[in-house]
Amino acid sequence: MTDEARLKALMLRGLAGDAAAQSALLSAMSGYLRGYFGRRLGAGAADVEDLVQDTLLAIHLKRAAYDPTQPFTPWAYAVARYKLIDHFRRQGVRRAVPLEDAGDLFATENPEEGAVRRDVERLLATLPERQRKLVVDVRLEGHSMEEAAQRAGMTVTAVKVSVHRALKALTRLAVPDGRRADED
Amino acid sequence: MKTDALIAALAADTAPVAPGAAARRLGLAAGAGAALALILILAWLKPRSDLVAALATPAFWMKASYTLALSLAGGLLTARLARPGGRTGPGRWVLAGAVAVVAVLGAISLALAAPDQRAAAWLGHSWTLCPWRILVAAAPVFVALVLALRRLAPTRLALAGAAAGLLAGAIGATVYGLACNETSATFLAFWYTLGIAGCAAIGAVLGRWLLRW
Repeated sequence: MTDEARLKALMLRGLAGDAAAQSALLSAMSGYLRGYFGRRLGAGAADVEDLVQDTLLAIHLKRAAYDPTQPFTPWAYAVARYKLIDHFRRQGVRRAVPLEDAGDLFATENPEEGAVRRDVERLLATLPERQRKLVVDVRLEGHSMEEAAQRAGMTVTAVKVSVHRALKALTRLAVPDGRRADED
Repeated sequence: MKTDALIAALAADTAPVAPGAAARRLGLAAGAGAALALILILAWLKPRSDLVAALATPAFWMKASYTLALSLAGGLLTARLARPGGRTGPGRWVLAGAVAVVAVLGAISLALAAPDQRAAAWLGHSWTLCPWRILVAAAPVFVALVLALRRLAPTRLALAGAAAGLLAGAIGATVYGLACNETSATFLAFWYTLGIAGCAAIGAVLGRWLLRW
């Protein structure tokens, strides 16, 4: 079941007066909110837990402002984003909070992913322009060899060879000699 | 307080919420505000002396239709913007349509007037009073709406304040229409619109402060 279907079902039961559902909803939301505010303020920042509690309180007390005909996750995201903006305003910080969709709150992003992405970008930067484009096309963006060949104006065989060489070069850079996978 | 304890305390206090509770709160506020505005205008300005005869004239109903259409637009917008993440929705098309129709009517009526009558058609006899009186009549409606909105959860505060100001101004103007005996479409298009727009502008400014939660 998606987050939306699961959380909305809990919200609707809470609106009908079901305390157990309300408790489950608030518990689930506290996890998402901790992640969201943590990403925005820096995980472990002192204000994160205050904001989580403040937002849970708002989700509970402002339940009447939820329209059951509408999806729940954008509603919850709007409440969380409002509380974040309010937090910056109280601190006297002028900071724009980008208007993203509810996925931003319900993302279960692993913080390590960002670091991995940065490593990949750093490695790719070592490749010559033409090779880098081919690797990005074929290996990261999921284009076929044929499409990449067409975009680069090369033959398919040339693309295959070029990508293969590029990956080999990257492996040499990224993996210490002793642990290198068997080269062909 | 630990978050788990907070959740337990909140969940223990899970009263059922009736469907349509938000709309009912706003509707009650608008109704109570309108009643106050009516008492205020009738006590202060008295209904126009020819009110019964005026009910048979198109000019009276043109004014009433315009201010009621703007009330509808304001009501739709306020109901949407009272909720987290609310978009403006169809209310803005009602608003744009009503203003456009009356602006065209006002322009036609000004163009058709004899040149020496144009100033009279535009200014009437009460242009210095009309927008201010609409503002005064709107005040109790706006206060009632702000009280209702504070119990809901607008997230775009200036916009929600403007919508509440528009609704209050349009209701105030509808009530003021019982006391005002201007008949020109040009007057309506200019001075009524100005008074109601002033209410929306004040609502936008005040909304940023009054609607925080």
